Amino acid sequence: MNVLIVEDTKELAVELTDYLAKSGYICKWVASCEEALEEVSVNQYDALLLDLGLPDGNGFDVLESVRNSKSKMAVIVITARGELDDKINGLDLGADDYLTKPFALSELGARLYAVIRRIHGFTVNELDIHGFKIRLQDYKVSYQENAVALTKKEFDIFQYLVLNKNRVITRLQLTEHVWGDVLEVSSDSNFIDVHVRNLRKKLDKHATIEWFETVRNVGYRIIS
Amino acid sequence: MKLKNKISIFSAVIRLLLLVIMWFTLSFVIKKVAYKNIENTMIEKRDKFVNRLNTSEINAFIERNDSTELYVSFSNLHSEFLRLYRSNNITRPKDYFVNESRKVENETNEYRVLYHHFSYKNTNYVLEIGEHLNEVDELLDKFHLVILLLLTATLIVSHFAQSVFIDYLLKPFQKIIDTKINLINEPELFDHSKVHTTTSDFAVLDDGLNQMMDRIQEQFKKEKQFIANVSHELLTPISILQNRLENLLNNESINDEGVDKIVVSLRNLDTLKRIINNLLLISRIENHQYSNFESIDFRNLVSELLADFDDRIEMKQLHVLNTVENDFVFEGNKTLIHILIYNIVFNAIKFTPNGGSLIISDSFEEGRYCIAIADTGKGMTEVQLSQIFNRFMKINLEEEGQGLGLAIVSSIANLHKIEIKVSSELNVGTTFRLVFPEVKK
Repeated sequence: MNVLIVEDTKELAVELTDYLAKSGYICKWVASCEEALEEVSVNQYDALLLDLGLPDGNGFDVLESVRNSKSKMAVIVITARGELDDKINGLDLGADDYLTKPFALSELGARLYAVIRRIHGFTVNELDIHGFKIRLQDYKVSYQENAVALTKKEFDIFQYLVLNKNRVITRLQLTEHVWGDVLEVSSDSNFIDVHVRNLRKKLDKHATIEWFETVRNVGYRIIS
Repeated sequence: MKLKNKISIFSAVIRLLLLVIMWFTLSFVIKKVAYKNIENTMIEKRDKFVNRLNTSEINAFIERNDSTELYVSFSNLHSEFLRLYRSNNITRPKDYFVNESRKVENETNEYRVLYHHFSYKNTNYVLEIGEHLNEVDELLDKFHLVILLLLTATLIVSHFAQSVFIDYLLKPFQKIIDTKINLINEPELFDHSKVHTTTSDFAVLDDGLNQMMDRIQEQFKKEKQFIANVSHELLTPISILQNRLENLLNNESINDEGVDKIVVSLRNLDTLKRIINNLLLISRIENHQYSNFESIDFRNLVSELLADFDDRIEMKQLHVLNTVENDFVFEGNKTLIHILIYNIVFNAIKFTPNGGSLIISDSFEEGRYCIAIADTGKGMTEVQLSQIFNRFMKINLEEEGQGLGLAIVSSIANLHKIEIKVSSELNVGTTFRLVFPEVKK
């Protein structure tokens, strides 16, 4: 998977590249509109991470040009502005998803996975983790043909951890993923723990889940 | 009361007063003139008569020297008379006029009478000359009526003329009020075009307003720019820090102590991020940067919202009663209205102890739609109640969050002209009531 990162803040681009490289993506970083336009016209990319506020123009120009080229590139717009107008514009112009700075890398990973899967029509509509099958299209989990009844939030948490497997996911990241960027909800909510406890109980009925780790003081990790 | 109406009422009263004074004065003057006229005629007659006295046959009458004798002459229609008789009284003034009733051939009439005292050959005489007054009085009455009618007509015509003129005169002023003063709270919509007027006072007022609003708009623009800059300049480094710490967290070489510190840092960073985002949200709302209004159905919104809180509700074993049932469609920003109700419900859940109740209901109050969110939580004191909408206000320090939730609620409510009424009793509960503006028909 080739990903083009268009981001004018070098340090941020470094962190994005670092994270995505560990997830198996091949990343290329450019810092301006001009370079980005040249890059997309020359090379084939599966996904584009696009910052809107670029020094030599608006990221929307790049988005428009990508869409006009009929390329099947997945585009995730990244912006610090976070204004509603931008959100509407971004999706209208054909961005596949939208992330507001600051965002969790695990969130970016999950979104990127979902967008690429959708755009490129991969047949992998199922995630397999130690015999548990997660069906992404209809939010169902089963183990050896037996359905595991999860609530929507439990499903969200499970899927998120599986998509970010082998990484520690903090309670914060999980909270933000499940409840979104809800304004006044406290960051260190122990509600996540309750949901995870219930989720583990349900999974544990079907098989041992020693691969579903609690990382002391931090959060959770699923080992593949 | 409007200036226009005040001026109208004042000038109407003044005019009415003038009318009364004019009426009385004119009546008096006309009467005087009429009498003077009659009196002049009578004086002429007296002179004629007295001159004739010396020569004519009436000499005989005086020669007779008979004190009881009278000379009386009436005109045919009794419109005037002459009377001459001797008098012993010489102390009375020489000439004077009085109004007197005289009975002539069984007919009593009002006369203006001139008494003329004179001496002729050592004898005192009195000459009375009378002029009938009925006709004059009738004429005067008619005059009064005509004057009254004329004055009333003048009053009415001038009142309308003045109203029209005042309307015309105050038109620029009215325009300033309608298009400028009424929009003073929405600098974005302010019309900077000059109001055309030849009245210098209004021009000064208009110029002053325009200058003031120019400055305010300039400030607004600066604030907006500032917000955009802050949002970019602050959130970008936070973004870098957060992502770097997240990457570090998955670095195998870091020991447990390091991991703990990273997690605490991430938590602080998250708090910082939320504070900035919330402040930016408030600023954006107050800068009217949320303009896309759409129809909102509260039944859907509330049930969606409660579904979002189902885990908290379940864990706290709260009894939730949602009776929102009225058909009411509100035009507003859906995202903001969602945040508004979300924050209130969130607070209600937060401050209600396990096993408590949460009741969300709606009603119409004097034609205005109203949603009430009531809890059986710990409630607030009067002092706390008066401060809840202040930024960074927390009821107690251990509480989670940054104390911006209700400040946001207040901003959103202001933007949508929703009135918030809060009533609370310590250890009994709190009720938030959102009263929506009346629907314009």
